[in-house]
Amino acid sequence: MSTLDARRTGSRLTFRQKLANFDYKASPYLYISPFFLMFAVLGLFPIIYTVNVSLYNWDLLKGQGDFVGLDNYVTTLTDPFFWNAFGNTISIFLLSAVPQLIIATVIAAVLDQAIRASTFWRMSILLPYIAAPVAVAVIFTQIFNQFGGPITGAMEALGLEPIRWGFDPFPSHVAIATMVNWRWTGYNALILLAAMQAIPRDIYESASLDGAGRARRFWSITIPMIRPTMIFVIITSTIGGLQIFTEPKLFDGQSNGGSNRQFQTIVLYLYEMAFPRRDFGRAAATAWILFLIIILVGLINYAISRTIASQDIKRNIRLPKRAAVNANGARR
Amino acid sequence: MKFSRRTATVAAIAGTASLALVLTGCQTGGNEPSSDEPITLTITTFGTMGIDVNYEAYQEEHPNVTIEATNLENGGAARDDAYAKIAAGTGLSDVVAIEEGWLSTIREVSDAFVDLRDYGIEDNKSDWLDWKYAQGTDGDGRVFGAGLDIGPQGLCFRGDLFEAAGLPGDREGFAEAIGGEDATWESFFEFGQKYTAATGKAFYHNPSFFWNSFVNQQDEGYYKADGTTLNVKDNKALQGQLDLIVENANIGAGLPGWGVGDQAKADDFAVYTCPSWMLGVVSGYYDAGTTGTGWDFADVLPGGAANWGGAFLGVSESSEHKEAAADLALWLAAPAQQAAAFEAAGPFPSTIEGQELVGDSVNAFFNDAPVGEIFTNRAKGVVAQVKGPEDSVIQDNVFGPVLDQISQGEITDGAAAWDAAMVLFDQLVKQ
Repeated sequence: MSTLDARRTGSRLTFRQKLANFDYKASPYLYISPFFLMFAVLGLFPIIYTVNVSLYNWDLLKGQGDFVGLDNYVTTLTDPFFWNAFGNTISIFLLSAVPQLIIATVIAAVLDQAIRASTFWRMSILLPYIAAPVAVAVIFTQIFNQFGGPITGAMEALGLEPIRWGFDPFPSHVAIATMVNWRWTGYNALILLAAMQAIPRDIYESASLDGAGRARRFWSITIPMIRPTMIFVIITSTIGGLQIFTEPKLFDGQSNGGSNRQFQTIVLYLYEMAFPRRDFGRAAATAWILFLIIILVGLINYAISRTIASQDIKRNIRLPKRAAVNANGARR
Repeated sequence: MKFSRRTATVAAIAGTASLALVLTGCQTGGNEPSSDEPITLTITTFGTMGIDVNYEAYQEEHPNVTIEATNLENGGAARDDAYAKIAAGTGLSDVVAIEEGWLSTIREVSDAFVDLRDYGIEDNKSDWLDWKYAQGTDGDGRVFGAGLDIGPQGLCFRGDLFEAAGLPGDREGFAEAIGGEDATWESFFEFGQKYTAATGKAFYHNPSFFWNSFVNQQDEGYYKADGTTLNVKDNKALQGQLDLIVENANIGAGLPGWGVGDQAKADDFAVYTCPSWMLGVVSGYYDAGTTGTGWDFADVLPGGAANWGGAFLGVSESSEHKEAAADLALWLAAPAQQAAAFEAAGPFPSTIEGQELVGDSVNAFFNDAPVGEIFTNRAKGVVAQVKGPEDSVIQDNVFGPVLDQISQGEITDGAAAWDAAMVLFDQLVKQ
């Protein structure tokens, strides 16, 4: 007698049947539980514990001190160095995310065409992503070295005033954004390419028959149809871009973001608070403020990217649901 | 029943004599590492300390010991590493090198390190200079760090470039030219102005080392002698030195303080402030074994003798082999090994016997300068200044950025430089 029959007839279930019932209902949760258990231990607990730390005077070495409520948040938000770090982070983020997405989209569009040795090109653009970020940062730091680096050498040879990459804020942001772009453009291009490949070719054919040129097809078909993937790429870029640490840290290993904080990002500010300054409470408060900033900027970006490139076309063509790429994994 | 040093520590922590007896009964023999049990000892050092030349000899003497060494790029990296691991309560290597600049912070949490008195450091207390031994001792009298090197300072200089500029280029002549025993920072910069006027080249690479030296020369630095009262606001001596540095910014190369090997080879500057451990940094800019570069080393420091830096070895309380680790640390800090490290990389011994051992030492890279004799002279009468808990913050984050801006020509007025520093001071240091 099956479980269902048993229920229908109202008879009592045997232990075996109960077990089978339980198995049917609980197994799926059991299968996905390892992730959630790991997340609870390695993700959720530290996040909540950080709230606890942020409410105390907490010396890195001496540990918990007095309860101070929201004082650490107030001190951080009124610290000019925090806002300096905030400005630097936004500046580096814009200098990296915007060109990165534009170039990645263009590269993806090119690779989406029928070109020779397409696998070779696709693999090639991913190569910078494989290189360890530390190695990339070390090499670029040499290239942008204002004292005898190749760029400075070339500018001197041309009789130009050398740029002080390590001293002036804006050039240093450009240098750091270049490292980020070098690493992430290919990766994003590949994800966008996957989305482009999922667009049914017959849509392009009908568009050509209707007389749409290459540019028109790109703007009116490709861009709107990769929108869900574009949103994914923008959100992950936002999270990664606002948490940038390795590149500015290694750009000047002696300091935490430049001798005068020219390229100190929020995470570097957090690091300075936590380690050299040993103020764990304020570091924890900074972590939470950063978390809220990321959510805020992420929401803004989501809102913006929903509106772009989708106005006129979405009424005419039904978007295929499968354009979204199942690409997850941690960035940076 | 033998009452071992190790068990004595356990007893002290437990706090009761009876418990101590029980523990002693359990531990004696059981936990003493037998001499042939193979163990691995980890050690973390930084920069060019030179003590690595001794590892092999120790392993030969102790065939059961394997030393796993990690050398971090500089003292700042070693500080962040040590702080993070002390905070985590785990992960410190068995033996940890501690830099003088952050020693005062470690002193506040010195129980992360074992009391070396339990391993016999007191028997050799008289080996060390008194003040060095005292620096490694905390308020309760626990000795948490065994003194390694001290940082008496002289001047590294390019004799060949000075001679080409028509200035005295031998080490006695150069020392005399900037005032010899009575050399002041003013007379030093005057010499530099002559050099730059004659050659059109920069005299020094970066002013921050002069600043460090000057601060260390004061009886009281960023803190009063009690180590807790700040001594920065309205400090006329510091203000005067900042003025002097601004006035002489024109003979600086505007380079970073560290990592300037290419510029050294290109003759972009001609002096380098050299505490003992800096010799290895300067010669490290060139390939190993290079000589005849023009670098020389003079027995002079403008403004009088001073100590800059120096390291200690601590044994972490979390070590699984405290006895063996302490043995290694104390051996590495013993006179003979300090002398070997000096010959290899330049850090000057903090033990009296170690200093005697290197008294005749010459350094081939620095034009065969009698570095042993010079540092012995430079160390005379030097007592390291009392540092306070925020010393490295004041150094790196208050005056560091201002000196950098002076160096880059962004600040050209002494009063403005001081005001900028005081703004940073108010923002960064709890008063």
